[in-house]
Amino acid sequence: MVKLEKIHKIYDTGATQVHALVEINLEIQKGEFLAVMGPSGSGKSTLMNIIGLLDRPTRGSYFLEGKEVSQLDEETLARTRNRHIGFVFQTFNLLPRADALRNVELPMLYAGIKPRQRRAKALEALERVGLADRLLHKPNELSGGQKQRVAIARAIVNKPSVILADEPTGALDTRTGEEIMALFQELNEEGATIVVVTHETDIARHAKRVVQIRDGRVLTDRAVTEPLQAKKVLQRWEEVGR
Amino acid sequence: MNILESVQVALEGIWTNRLRSFLTMLGIIIGVAAVIGVVAIGQGSRSVILSEFEKIGSNLFIIYTRWEEGKPPRTWEDLTLRDAEVLQELVPEIQLMAPITFSQATVTSGDKNKMARLYGTTAGYEEIRNVELARGRFFTDDDNKAVRSVVVIDSELAEELFGRKDPLGRKVVVGGHPMVVIGVVKVTDSLLGMDDTREVYLPINTLHKAFQTRYIHQLEGKAVTKDVVDLAMEQGIRILERRHGKDFSRGVTLESDLEMGNRILGILTLVIGSIAGISLCVGGIGVMNIMLVSVTERTREIGLRKALGARRKDILLQFLIESVTICLIGGFIGFLLGIGLALAIAAVAKWPPVLSWWPVILAIAFSSAVGIFFGLYPANKAAKLDPIDALRYE
Repeated sequence: MVKLEKIHKIYDTGATQVHALVEINLEIQKGEFLAVMGPSGSGKSTLMNIIGLLDRPTRGSYFLEGKEVSQLDEETLARTRNRHIGFVFQTFNLLPRADALRNVELPMLYAGIKPRQRRAKALEALERVGLADRLLHKPNELSGGQKQRVAIARAIVNKPSVILADEPTGALDTRTGEEIMALFQELNEEGATIVVVTHETDIARHAKRVVQIRDGRVLTDRAVTEPLQAKKVLQRWEEVGR
Repeated sequence: MNILESVQVALEGIWTNRLRSFLTMLGIIIGVAAVIGVVAIGQGSRSVILSEFEKIGSNLFIIYTRWEEGKPPRTWEDLTLRDAEVLQELVPEIQLMAPITFSQATVTSGDKNKMARLYGTTAGYEEIRNVELARGRFFTDDDNKAVRSVVVIDSELAEELFGRKDPLGRKVVVGGHPMVVIGVVKVTDSLLGMDDTREVYLPINTLHKAFQTRYIHQLEGKAVTKDVVDLAMEQGIRILERRHGKDFSRGVTLESDLEMGNRILGILTLVIGSIAGISLCVGGIGVMNIMLVSVTERTREIGLRKALGARRKDILLQFLIESVTICLIGGFIGFLLGIGLALAIAAVAKWPPVLSWWPVILAIAFSSAVGIFFGLYPANKAAKLDPIDALRYE
């Protein structure tokens, strides 16, 4: 699905060269739930940008669905992003003036899908994230958790190869964050490939595999033997009355 | 994303920021209203001037004697009654020709008296000058040949002298000479009217006899068609020069006056039009300013759209359509305002409202051109944004 080979990213600031990523080798299979961990400045954002096709590596190869995509031109990058990547951001990044449906329709607008079909697919995605009753609400009429669900609906609506979530629970309280992780786990069980970038161990423990990044290198790459089940966590909190 | 959807998105944006959008549009509104108003006023006044000239007499030309310093003074021989007849007979382009002697005298009836301008002429003058009779008749060749003491007076003079009584057949004393009123001329409401002097027309022979003169001031003629006015006049002058053996005549036609008036109006319209154009330009700069603010404000939105697959041209088009939409709405409001302005001025100035289709085209073309021209820079700025930086923008 995603295969990075000897990826380097060097920022040339004139006087000095900053090595943001140094020889990253990473392979993500279809249906994986991966957490990328690391403190700020570790290079995890750069890695995320490269996987998300927002940025090009200085050196190395990136195969997405078997196709080399590391040096595509801007226009092809935009089209590939549109088809293969679903983004979820820490601050949701919803269009403030548009209702939930319109927000979810946004990526399909650039995929050239016909309005009627767009509406149907957006409806389906919003139902999937449990917001069937919030279709015409604008972002300022939604809670933080609901906003993130709209964002997730937007990320899954084009049926992307991989969902990239950058600190998806960073702006949410613990309980809402856990609910969002439960949703990610459900989507993963249904076959979605998910990459979550986080610096919180509690969040990373929900993934099936955790990659630690330090100073632009992969420090550890371990499978999680027993991922934390968000649903069970929520159940337990329910029982202790939290 | 197709154009229609982009327009819809743009309209939503404009509606959300109503006040700002309106203020942005204001420059365009004023500019377009000014352009359309000026054009309409120019056309309206031109049509008025044209119709005024029609009132004075169409196909009219005037020949009078040259009067220059250092040359021998004019004499009564310069123009004769025979000249008018000869010209009318010899020049096929001349339909009518009349000699005119001007004078001034007090017109008295009973205890009332008024100063009036006297026109001594021949039958046919009323057609050359489009003189309209309210009552009675104009004098005939017969009246002139027989040197009858008859006058045609204007309706205002008639009212001042006789009140509501029928003036026809009544006696007036013109400069000490008793005359009989045979006709009353309508006083036309003319914007070009020189003054409100009372006017009295009488047979030229009658005037010559009464005032002991044979002097003729000018010849007035009517050409058969508008196109041959100059030709008719030139032919007439050539014949006059041959008859009198000296270079002394010169003519004016209303067409030449009209052309000059048109030229002055054209220059005026151009000047005011350029000022209106400048205000449209200033309006465009306002649009550019707001679009730049809008691009900065919506940096994150642009970043998001790009992350979700928008290409450069998608973003470029989105912002271009926004600025064009603002300008077109402004242009439309300005167009309505300009039409209103033109109608209001037409109503006040009492001229026919002249509305043509081309200011509409002009307004649409101008405002979309302004929208594209001044929207291009901000839209391009938006399109060039790097999605990573844009998403991180606070």
